[in-house]
Amino acid sequence: MLTVDSFPATRIPEAAEALRPQIKAFLADRLAGMPASRRARTWSGFDADFSRALAERGWVGLTMPKHYGGAGLDAFARFVLVEELLAAGAPIAAHWIGDRQSAPLLLHYGTEAQRQAFLPRICRAEIFFCIGMSEPNAGSDLASVRTRAVREADGWRLNGQKIWTTYAHKSHYMIGLVRTSGTPEDRQKGLSQFLIDLSLPGVTVRPIRLGTGDTDFNEVFFDNVLLPDDALVGQEGNGWAQVNAELAFERSGPERIYSSLVLLDLWAATLRASPSRADEERLGKLLARLAPLRAMSVSMTGLLAQGQSPLTEAALFKDMGTELEQAIPGEIADAVATRLDTACDPELMRTLAYLMQLNHVFSLRGGTREILRGMIARGLGLR
Amino acid sequence: MNDDNSVLTDSFRRLVADIATPERTRTFEAAPALEPVWSALAASGFLDALVPEDCGGAGLSLASVFPLVMILGEHAVSVPYAETMVARALLAANGQQAPDDAAIILAPPSPILPNGAAATHALVNDGERIALVRLVGVGEDPFRAGGATGIQIGDRLCDLPADGFDLGLAAAGLAAAQMAGAMSRLLSMSLRYANERQQFGRPLGKFQAIQQQLSVMAEQVISVQVAARTAMSGHGFNVAGVAAAKARANEATHLVNGIAHAVHGAIGATEEFDLQLYSRRLKQWQLAFGSESFWAGQLGRLRILAGSATSADFIRDHLCDGAA
Repeated sequence: MLTVDSFPATRIPEAAEALRPQIKAFLADRLAGMPASRRARTWSGFDADFSRALAERGWVGLTMPKHYGGAGLDAFARFVLVEELLAAGAPIAAHWIGDRQSAPLLLHYGTEAQRQAFLPRICRAEIFFCIGMSEPNAGSDLASVRTRAVREADGWRLNGQKIWTTYAHKSHYMIGLVRTSGTPEDRQKGLSQFLIDLSLPGVTVRPIRLGTGDTDFNEVFFDNVLLPDDALVGQEGNGWAQVNAELAFERSGPERIYSSLVLLDLWAATLRASPSRADEERLGKLLARLAPLRAMSVSMTGLLAQGQSPLTEAALFKDMGTELEQAIPGEIADAVATRLDTACDPELMRTLAYLMQLNHVFSLRGGTREILRGMIARGLGLR
Repeated sequence: MNDDNSVLTDSFRRLVADIATPERTRTFEAAPALEPVWSALAASGFLDALVPEDCGGAGLSLASVFPLVMILGEHAVSVPYAETMVARALLAANGQQAPDDAAIILAPPSPILPNGAAATHALVNDGERIALVRLVGVGEDPFRAGGATGIQIGDRLCDLPADGFDLGLAAAGLAAAQMAGAMSRLLSMSLRYANERQQFGRPLGKFQAIQQQLSVMAEQVISVQVAARTAMSGHGFNVAGVAAAKARANEATHLVNGIAHAVHGAIGATEEFDLQLYSRRLKQWQLAFGSESFWAGQLGRLRILAGSATSADFIRDHLCDGAA
């Protein structure tokens, strides 16, 4: 059963902590002058130059083996790196998916040729990845995907459509989950993962414009796209298991608790001048929720490093983490609008407005609240 | 936790389960008395767990003792066992010794002192010093859960300098750990009940609405347990760690108690059903040693004064395992 022992008390090793001052120094220099309202985008902020500058320091693909162009460091080092990037509000979206998911996937399931072809380029931030999971009729019900790849003499013929694909319009490759046998009624069986070159003929990327004016999301259409033989990742038919192995990585990291951190710290800084008792309590309650979540993320980093796959733990963590990320803008809005006779700092207002219009999606991306709670219930022995 | 620790924890859990049975808790509630629970627990040899080895104790760390304190909460132990462990260690570290049979509560200013009804002694603040006093009486027990609204002080047995030890912090830290234990009991009882109780032809736990509530409950319980563990992971109790743990425990109690009783229905509140033994104690703990607003205010003020560049820095410096 899920208990506190599912999250063993874990400290970040000294070797990993040693990286922190270098990262802080780099970020202080590189992000100097960037307004908080832009930094608040953090892992939604796309800046290819920034990603390449990080890569030059060896900080993209940190955990990849050196012979594939990585830094050969452990998961704790990556936790430190990511924590600093998020806390500072660095724009890391360009390399984010490749670094977090695609590279580990290829390292684990890819062929030697795939590793050699892709990992060094990911580590140099030359190529960026997106994830093709959701479809118009397969969101939370991921196993019902209809996009299909059919084997042909010279490769795979791909037809179908993906949706909500973050930064597909700026990515070079998609790791797509598609059906290679059976029908949607076969559910998890017959799914496979493919490396899809988005420059191939027949691929159309169409942006989805949000009410805020943002266009991070896309629809991606595949019209008779011919994929080469070696586009298959891992085993044919093993896609579901492979995707699930990724999920623990996708849901356990500090990005599930720090999406509103830039705002929280901007607001906390304004309190130095004239904190009210109510503001202090509000700040304290948020920190009291944040601290155990960070401890849980560090703990899962240790579990993943030992080769475990804490899927249920990650679901529990992410559900609580996104709830907190969502609560922060609401709490700060409440605090700001309590002081009717004090003008809100303009940058605080811009940052707050950005996050207030975005925070409701924090619990949609990467598995919805209802799906996660279902997983927790299974972990508790209820299903 | 290493293997030695989990052996220790398992044997302590069995021991406490045998000694502090729900029946004994009910007897205690009718007329609070140390015995028979106190002697049986004292015989276990854990009272000096935190006393340094060169003073004749086991020299365990707060972190090693944390699971034991949680277990006391899990079993609604209403005598001041955890509190006496901490008091004996503090006294020993200052060259003093508590009377062998003393059941000592920590008594900083607080509207209620859980586990105080049957206590024989207390540590109290006395200006710059902390004094060990004998109790000649205790206040009311409004929850009928072994608490006391106050104490009447008799002889002063000894005292020690207060520097480096804050009674209020230690009391709140131990409270959070016992609350974490009581919550895990509520969770396990609720899960069992949801799997057994049939409504509309199937177990309650098969209804998605119930599943989602129990998932939320588990989240809250684990969050409190992790916060309480962090509060007991250093050499002593520090403000940030205790503030986060007690604020979190108090806040979570609303949801955790609410869901436990919602899943059980009215039977959970009855005298014959065990659930209320733990949920009433949790509510009593909410009133003790600082509310969520009190501790959240302390934590927020500390964050503002600390001047950390980011809250991640603040948490790393003040609120992670082993932060001093």
